[in-house]
Amino acid sequence: MPPIGRLLLIVAYGVLGLAAAGRSVVQISTRLSEAPVPYLVSGASAALYVLIAVALWRGWRSVALWGTGVELVGVLTVGTLGYVRPSWWPDETVWTGYGSAYGWVPLALPIVALVVLLRATRPDAVAD
Amino acid sequence: MELYGGVIYPAVLVACAILALAGVGTMVQVRAHRVLEKAVTGFWIVTAIQVLSVLIVLIRGNDAGLVLTLGYLLAAVLLLPLLGIGRLGEPDAAALDPDPNRPVLQPDQIARVDGGAAVIVAIAAAVLAWRVFVILGS
Repeated sequence: MPPIGRLLLIVAYGVLGLAAAGRSVVQISTRLSEAPVPYLVSGASAALYVLIAVALWRGWRSVALWGTGVELVGVLTVGTLGYVRPSWWPDETVWTGYGSAYGWVPLALPIVALVVLLRATRPDAVAD
Repeated sequence: MELYGGVIYPAVLVACAILALAGVGTMVQVRAHRVLEKAVTGFWIVTAIQVLSVLIVLIRGNDAGLVLTLGYLLAAVLLLPLLGIGRLGEPDAAALDPDPNRPVLQPDQIARVDGGAAVIVAIAAAVLAWRVFVILGS
């Protein structure tokens, strides 16, 4: 994996993990009964971001690959369901509107990460 | 509150802009890493002043939610160590770690990682400062 891309992804996932964790901790600890599904989804996304950041740092490539794949599916699913079934979401999650509240970074980041990770796993990829 | 809204908050945004520009400059031209290092030092100072000023505003009495405001301040502080993440790839630092997957960077790569991290942190810090500004009710 290219070291520059790897470290910048760690920074990006660290920042996003911090933002999502802060948001979900406040939501879950103060208003969980109002909108359990959105707040638990926010909590799960925060845990996923932290897991991916750790996996990238430790060099757990398959964990990072699966994590970013799950993240992308989550963003697309929650984003789409937010428009198709708005009644299911009494409040916003990190992934609502495909991450629009976070400048669409939650949508763009897993795509970038998957490109970096998959290019690194290609047989002709240059070793670190 | 006037001091924070009129001086500190704009100063934080200017510091974020300088940090982001220095980060972009470093990614384009590695020689700008020295400028980035000075910008990072200045950013630590500006963030410390921001934290102190917000604490003073809260102590003097403000309707802002304490947990939320302190949470954003904590996040602003937690971002700062990411500005030096390139150092973790220095050969000396990597040699002390038994992890074989630890990235080892050349000096130009360290500069570019620091530049990219500076851009990400600058954007995140600007958003945090804006959120604190909104919460404090300006």
